[in-house]
Order: sequence, then structure tokens, then C-alpha cells
Amino acid sequence: MKNFLIILIMKILNFILKILGKKGGNFLGKLAYDWNDEIFKYFKISCPVIAVTATNGKTMTNNAIGFLFKEAGKKVISNIEGNNMETGILSTLLKNCSLTGKINADFLVFEVDEGYIPILFKDLRLDTLVILNFFRDQLDRNGEVESLILKINEFLKTYNGNLVLNSDDPNVSRLAKANPENKNIYYFSVDKYKFATKEIKEAGEGKFCPFCNSKLDYDYYQYSHIGKFKCPNCKYGNNSIFKIAKNVNLENKSFEVDGINYKTKFNSIYNIYNFTAVISVVSLYDIDTNIIQKALEKFQLNNGRMEELIIKDCKTIINLAKNPTGSNVSLRILNEDNDEKELLFVLNDNLADGKDVSWIWDINFDELKNVSRIVTSGSRAYDIAIRIKTSGYDDNKIFPHLNLDEAVKDLYSTNSKKYVIANYTALQPTRKEILSLK
Amino acid sequence: MQELKILYLYPDILELYGDFGNIQVLKYRLEKRGINAIIDSYSIGDESPDFCSYDLIFAGGGADQEQSILAKDLIKYKENIQEAINNGIFFLLICGAYQLFGKYYKDVNGDIIPGLEIFDYYTEAINDRKKRCIGNIVIDVTLDNIKTKVIGFENHGGQTFNITNPFGQVIVGNGNKFGDTEEGFFLENVIATYLHGPLLSKNPDLTDFIIKYCLEKKYNQNINLEPLDDTFENLCRKQLIDKFCSSNK
Repeated sequence: MKNFLIILIMKILNFILKILGKKGGNFLGKLAYDWNDEIFKYFKISCPVIAVTATNGKTMTNNAIGFLFKEAGKKVISNIEGNNMETGILSTLLKNCSLTGKINADFLVFEVDEGYIPILFKDLRLDTLVILNFFRDQLDRNGEVESLILKINEFLKTYNGNLVLNSDDPNVSRLAKANPENKNIYYFSVDKYKFATKEIKEAGEGKFCPFCNSKLDYDYYQYSHIGKFKCPNCKYGNNSIFKIAKNVNLENKSFEVDGINYKTKFNSIYNIYNFTAVISVVSLYDIDTNIIQKALEKFQLNNGRMEELIIKDCKTIINLAKNPTGSNVSLRILNEDNDEKELLFVLNDNLADGKDVSWIWDINFDELKNVSRIVTSGSRAYDIAIRIKTSGYDDNKIFPHLNLDEAVKDLYSTNSKKYVIANYTALQPTRKEILSLK
Repeated sequence: MQELKILYLYPDILELYGDFGNIQVLKYRLEKRGINAIIDSYSIGDESPDFCSYDLIFAGGGADQEQSILAKDLIKYKENIQEAINNGIFFLLICGAYQLFGKYYKDVNGDIIPGLEIFDYYTEAINDRKKRCIGNIVIDVTLDNIKTKVIGFENHGGQTFNITNPFGQVIVGNGNKFGDTEEGFFLENVIATYLHGPLLSKNPDLTDFIIKYCLEKKYNQNINLEPLDDTFENLCRKQLIDKFCSSNK
């Protein structure tokens, strides 16, 4: 009765929010969870539940999986707006259930914050868990990566569902061993691509074998610590791969899996990993490869994740980068583009960004290719300016502005191509400021 | 052409908080003045370095698990390190490295990781895993009789006791322990501190103090460093000191 009442009240509140034109975010979930923290048990879910977690790429992968299922004619409920803590997912469920808690869908697909997997799936059934990567991210808020991985490992000890893992991240693929009884392990991987390196180029985590502490050997690094690794001592790293992307072609934005060519709207190695994970998941649910092919080609995100715009006749590419790896991936894309361009980097240090900005020193600004000018902004505009200057970039071509409005005006005072990198709380204000010039 | 030889310890392990930036800032400020920066690194498995053949030794902070792996390695060089310190070679030690040069580190489980015992201080983690000294920090430091502010970010669970000569006096932040008035450890040729940021990126005076010390010792003469364009650094310092100091009042 209590749960019935909670749902009823949340439905009414949701109705009011809708009239007021508000989305609500975590609000309903937070209220309901505070009222009864066992409310997840009340939902009657008969369809598969799929979750995506990672440091980077959750939103992209989650939304692509949902989109592919929808294109295949399935009914999908998903937190596509990125509310990925237990209260955000609860909000999504509350909006989509009947008063008796029944969920009518073919698939539930959620992106879940790395720290919330054990909490959320204590009372909610989980059928497929996708883990993309673990990178250092807001150390002052999240703590060290290792403690996060150990929490997920603990949860997986009793988990028997599908586990879709990035074989090329030693901190992800190790999780296959959390429960030796679980036979539903599916590794995905991407063949060595054109810009893979012999030495690590960017800060990474996978240095030691998680099982025997030996230093890991890498054949090559794709980006950060993602690559072909093996432990010389206990041989960890020799996984049998479920889906592998081959013939990666960033110019054509295409790759092959099982001999089928896929085209996308995205041109980074990092997204090819995400899409290989997506293909792995939907193949587990027998989605036709023809449908996958067509849907992937159409799939895009318009929320500042590799978003392409034309502003004042300048091609503009906006990307979120809330940690070193995200920024390094953006700079890889910038450097793989031969055109002349300008960069805007917006760095905030609000609570949600992490107050410690020392992670910007883990961004590789060496050898910026054809970057004619750099504008910096955000509450730590000077910090990022110092960082870029110290890497050897000419400080006469760096223009810091604490004020975002001035920074964006300065950026569009010339007519070359623009790359925009913004961290978490900086992204939407930056996007808004840029769109206002349209 | 003048040069400085820098030994960077465990760059692949002690690199959690962008501490590598300190090496980049040193290199930048040396090369801008036409001084050659020779940077060698040492990590587990490499050939043993001779600490006495360098002008500056640097080590940063790392993840707990990795730090205990390297503590066993570092201890092999105890005598050589002691000799280098006695010879006046400069040591810049951040966070984990700061702790490792003391008597010991007692972790959350009560296990003792022995330190190099070069200095008499020791560090103990608080029992509560979640409690850490985290946040922006500003300290007052006296360098060559000139008082200046040093800005950084601290993130440590360990509380360091028995400090005889602190590096600075805390204006905003915690310091060696929760709510401490003192931060770090300071000798003529040693700065050991919890400040990340990286430390040298926002503190050009401190960087130049270290460079000057190393050059004067190496070339046995008075050195006047050529001033550099620190426009960004000065703007940054002004902004951050205003921001951090006002938010704490």
C-alpha cells in the first residue's frame, strides 16, 4: 500500500512538473527513495535489464544501445538524459510504471554511475552489465580508481548474468574472474589502429597485474592504458574475444565486426570501443545485423558529446571532457584532423567537477597540430592557460578569459575551424553561449 | 651552457595527481633561461641510479597499493639517498614521497609500511577510510628571508607527526594533520609537502628558489636568475588567493 501511495504521489508530482515544463532529473527518485529505500523491490519487470557503466562513454553507449533496440521496433525505457545514480534511475522507473509498479517495455537500458552499481542492483534484477573502462576521474570526489573497481568486483562475486567487458582494459577484464562460476562472459576488443603507440602517450591506470602485481607488458596502446596487454608472469590478458572491431578507418568513420562493415557519425578510436560494446550487447538479444548497420549509421547525440555545429560559418566541434582521458581523446581527434583550427578549453572547479584541477597536467598538449590560437575560460581559465604554456605552446597565442561570454566572442573573432573542450559543469553554459551566436 | 641534472623517481607509479607537472615546470623555467634540463627517470627494474650525481631529486604521490610496492624498492637505496642529502643535493618530495622519507606509514588496517627513516617524522592513517584532508590549501612560506604564499591542493588520509621544521604555516586548508597550523617539512635542501596542483605550477617564486639553490651549489657562485614573463601565473595566483582565502572566512 505504501509503495502504491508513493508511486501515485510521484505520478501526480510528475504531472505538475510536466505542466511547469520541467524535466525533474533526480527529483522524483530522491523523494521516493528517501521515503522507502526498498522501493526497487516493488517494480514488476519482466523484460531484460541492461546496464552500462564506465568512467567515460556511458551516455554514448547507453543511448546507442537504446537507439538500436528502438530501430529494431522494440519498446525501450532508458535514462537517456544521463541521470545515472540510483535516484535518477528510480525517477525513470516511476515515470514509466503503472500504479502497481508494472513496467511495460521490451528492454530497460540504463547508464549507471560506477559507484552505484552495487546499490542499484541490490534490489533490481540485472541481466546484462557492460563495463567499458576505468580511468582516474575527480580523485578528490571519487577516491582512487582501485577502490571503485573493488566495490564492483565485490558485487560481481554473486552475479551470474551477462558480463560484457572491454578486453583491452586490464582493470575491466579482470572483473571476469570475480565469479568463477559465471560462464556468461563476453569480451569485446578493437584491432590495433593507425595511431596506436608502442609507449603510453597519456596517463593511465593499468600498470601492474591485478592478480600477481607484475608489471604488465603491452604490445601497443590504443589510447591511455587501453591496448593489447599481457602479464609476463601469470599470463593474465589472454581472453577469448566475443566481438572484435577490425579495419578501423577514422577518415570514413567505419569499422568491421564479423566481416560486416559499420559506418558511424563518430571518428575516434574511443567511440569504436563504445560501438563494439553496443554491437556485442544487441547481438546477445538477436538483433539483425542489417538493422544494427542502418541504426548505427544514423545514431547521433546532440548534447555536447562530439557535437558538430556550424556557428558564424565556422565548423565547430564540442566535446565534454571531465577527466584526463576524455580530454586526451578530444585532443587526439583534433590532432588527427589536418585542418587549421582554434581551441577553446573551458575549465571549472565546481563541486560536481571536482575542486582539484591538477588532472589537467595529465592531458597531453605536446605537439598540437595546426592549432593557431587557444582561448581558455571557466573558473580556472588561468590554470589551464599555464598548463598549455608549459607544454611549449607559444604563450602569445593563448588568451585566458574568466568570463565565458568574452571567451566565446574572442573565439569567434576569427573564421577558422573551432574545437571546444569543456568539463562537466562548463559544458552546457559553453554550448549555450556558442549556440547564442548561431 | 649551464645545466641541471634532475632525477625523477618512479614516474610511472608516483603520478596520481599530475605531479609530473612539477618536472615540466622546472624544465620550462630552466630552458626559457637557456639552461639545459637533463631529466633522468628511475623506476622498479631500472639500473640503480647514483643519487649523488644529480642536482635535484623529485618524487610525487601515488595510489596506496602501488606505493607499498615501491617502498620495498626504494629502501635498497637508503644509504645512497642519505649520502646525497648530506652532500646538499636538493630533494623535492610530494605527498606519498614525503611520507616514504619518514620513519613509517601506518595504514588504515594498522599495518606498518617502513619508511626510509631519513627523517624523524612518521605518518598514520586515520581509522575512518572516508576521512581525508582534501581541498585547496594556501600556506605562508619564507624563502631566502622573503615571505610568500604557496598555493596547492591537498588530498591525504595520512596524518604526519613529529615535524621539527615545517615548510609553511597554514592560512587555508589542513596541513600535516586535520586542522593543523603547519604544513610539510623543510630543510636547507629538502622540501617535503602534501601540496599537489602541481605545486610548482602556481608558485614560480618557489620554483626559482629551488633552481637558484641547485645552480649555486653546482657552480659554486651567486646566481641571479633572469626574470620570466609570469603574467598568467600572477593572474592565477591573485585570482586563487582571493577565491580560497575569502571562501574560508
